[in-house]
Amino acid sequence: MAKTILIVDDSSSLRMVVKLALTRAGYDVLEAGDGKEGLAQLEKAGKVHLIVSDVNMPVMDGIAFVTEVKKHPRHKFTPVVMLTTEGQDAKKEQGKAAGAKAWIVKPFNPPQLLDAVSKLILP
Amino acid sequence: MSVLLHLPAERTERPAGFGAWLMQPFSRLLPAAASRSSHAPALEAVADRMDQASQLWSTHLGTAQDQMHTATQTLLDGFTTILQELDAIVAPDHGGSVTASEVESRADTLAGCENRLRELLTRFSGFVESRDRVLGSVRSLSTASQNLAQMAEDVGKLARQTNLLSINAAIEAARAGESGRGFSVVAAEVRRLSTESGTTGKHIGDQVGRFGAQMQTVLRDADQQAASDQQSVQSSGQIVNEVIEHMNGAVSGLNQRAAELRERGAMVKAQVEQLMIAFQFQDRVHQILDQVRQSMSQAAQRLQAAVATGHIPDPAEWEALLTAGYTTDEQRSATAGGAAQAATSSSSETTFF
Repeated sequence: MAKTILIVDDSSSLRMVVKLALTRAGYDVLEAGDGKEGLAQLEKAGKVHLIVSDVNMPVMDGIAFVTEVKKHPRHKFTPVVMLTTEGQDAKKEQGKAAGAKAWIVKPFNPPQLLDAVSKLILP
Repeated sequence: MSVLLHLPAERTERPAGFGAWLMQPFSRLLPAAASRSSHAPALEAVADRMDQASQLWSTHLGTAQDQMHTATQTLLDGFTTILQELDAIVAPDHGGSVTASEVESRADTLAGCENRLRELLTRFSGFVESRDRVLGSVRSLSTASQNLAQMAEDVGKLARQTNLLSINAAIEAARAGESGRGFSVVAAEVRRLSTESGTTGKHIGDQVGRFGAQMQTVLRDADQQAASDQQSVQSSGQIVNEVIEHMNGAVSGLNQRAAELRERGAMVKAQVEQLMIAFQFQDRVHQILDQVRQSMSQAAQRLQAAVATGHIPDPAEWEALLTAGYTTDEQRSATAGGAAQAATSSSSETTFF
């Protein structure tokens, strides 16, 4: 059975590109346009094996979203990969402190993302 | 709508970097206006124009962003459709391509056709052989009919000898006189019988002869037919071989063509995937333009406030205002005076925590 990955990004075109890379690798994909939508998706979803999240988003940004995910009783152990245009160390530190497991700077290449996903995804 | 700013010449001289120009002390940008209160109405007008320009540029930027977003989305949708179509052509489980098992299946079908054709030929040959066996029997009958002719000849010979014997008997009966009269009657009867036997033997011989002649005609025709059939069998075998060879060639060509198409399809698919990945630029450009719009709006507001209050933002405050909301390294690099490097290639490093 295919594993499920939640993509949280305010750019629909970026979500489409990430979805393309993940679905072609055999994963099922859920989508959300910001952190709040991401939390709503997690609430109604079954098991989510990994989350790929942007940082700069309206309504709820990626750092706040990860912080909330880590408080969630069912999803606090779900690994989160940050996928963002931000490359500053200070931002990465914020992501690490919030509970993210990896940080990839856009633009990404699919093998790079798939490598991180395969290393971190829950069994 | 055009917005004209009549600035002194020195204000339009830009240092090497646009970012650095923006970051220079505000008093250098508006030295005369800032120092002379008599120019306050002009300053307000400049600030208003700046505000109008900012709003207009912001609107244009928003329009450009929307158009780019829509176009990118349309392109991505189109590429997704192309990829799905290519999947249908290239992917082994969609039937559009020729898999090893399909090639094997075609070869099996071809072998099946060849077997059926050869079976047909074998049946045809069997029919010819069966006909030859019948002809063999007919030839035996021909031999038998020759024997019958010989027997008819023998009958005729016996009749002739019997006739000769009856003549002799009649002579002897005549020589015996009155006492041989009875024998003479017998001799005449024997002669009549021998004559009839001779006639019958001749009829049999003629009949057997005609029968034999017809038999020979039939056998000659049958031999010609057999030779023709044999030639047909050989010719059919040759045609079957040619057909099989031709089909083999055609199927082999089809398989090769299908393999080439699959290979080219896979190459196109990889190219399309790469193109779709390249569309990440839209997200990046969108974020940069978003920051520019917000920054323009905030700068205009701050300039309005400066005109109203006389409090001109110092360099640090001005820089903080203009750089607020930066999300990319190229924005920071451009502001610092360096060339803005377009992030065209992906970052290969992943930071694991």
